[in-house]
Amino acid sequence: MKVDVGTEIPTMERVPDAIDLFTFSASAWLLHRIHYDLPFTTEHDGHPGLLVHGPLQGTYMIQAVQWWLGTSAEMRSISYRHSSPAYLGDSLRCGGTITEIDEGAGTFSAELWVKKSDDTGDEVVTTSGVATFRLPTS
Amino acid sequence: MGLLTDEARAWAQEPFDPYEVTISATDIARYARAIGETDPVFFDADAARAAGYGDVVAPPYFPYTIRMQAANLRDRSDLEPDGSSSEDVPPVETTRAMAGETKIEMGVPIVAGDTITLEKEIIDLYEKSGRSGDLVFVVQAFTFKNQRMELVMREEFTRIYR
Repeated sequence: MKVDVGTEIPTMERVPDAIDLFTFSASAWLLHRIHYDLPFTTEHDGHPGLLVHGPLQGTYMIQAVQWWLGTSAEMRSISYRHSSPAYLGDSLRCGGTITEIDEGAGTFSAELWVKKSDDTGDEVVTTSGVATFRLPTS
Repeated sequence: MGLLTDEARAWAQEPFDPYEVTISATDIARYARAIGETDPVFFDADAARAAGYGDVVAPPYFPYTIRMQAANLRDRSDLEPDGSSSEDVPPVETTRAMAGETKIEMGVPIVAGDTITLEKEIIDLYEKSGRSGDLVFVVQAFTFKNQRMELVMREEFTRIYR
């Protein structure tokens, strides 16, 4: 797979369901109620639905690259932040753009994002960041 | 503003005990299944060895599960009503928590059988006025090393309280 500056990472769609939220919480022993307790989440935190974990969205951004290029595109660094909540049932699109190739270091950098459509159909970024990966070997 | 008291600043200085855990292939498989991975390097030792790893390898952000269990795998009396670890909650007049910025640098991969030591410290504590009121930011740094003292991952994670 040829990676060039400006190459768009193919958009990966994920629609995390209740099992995805449950297994992610369970695999990390993550007990925060906003990911499984709907009455608490609406009444205490004022959200309309259960929240998709921030780290799960970060993971989706890593997977958008590695499910495209393979695991030989080892991740070296990533930074990301959340700008809008993602809720159970939201259809999340994950993608990005290659921004830099460092042949000497054998790495490339990318801007990554997770987006959803809001109630009016407008596209909203839920999570965005930058990351560095090893250039894939195949 | 004014959420940050001397008590909160002193809280941020308190050291955390290191956390040590040996990672099994099952731990890796649970996380890999949770995030929807299908690559056999995460589940099958032979496939992982063929790809150059010593045993089944963990997906990149697997260390997250180690820091969460380090904070949360404890008695209910050590947890907040929202399920957060009391250890992570600053003594400030806020009730809700959410994830802020994450910065990660990777070292060597984790494979099944590795013993990982996690060290945690609070490297920043500050407050800001936001749209919905005052916010407190707690920046934690997590350093994960393996049994050979090689760096596995370093993560800076900001948790926001409002």
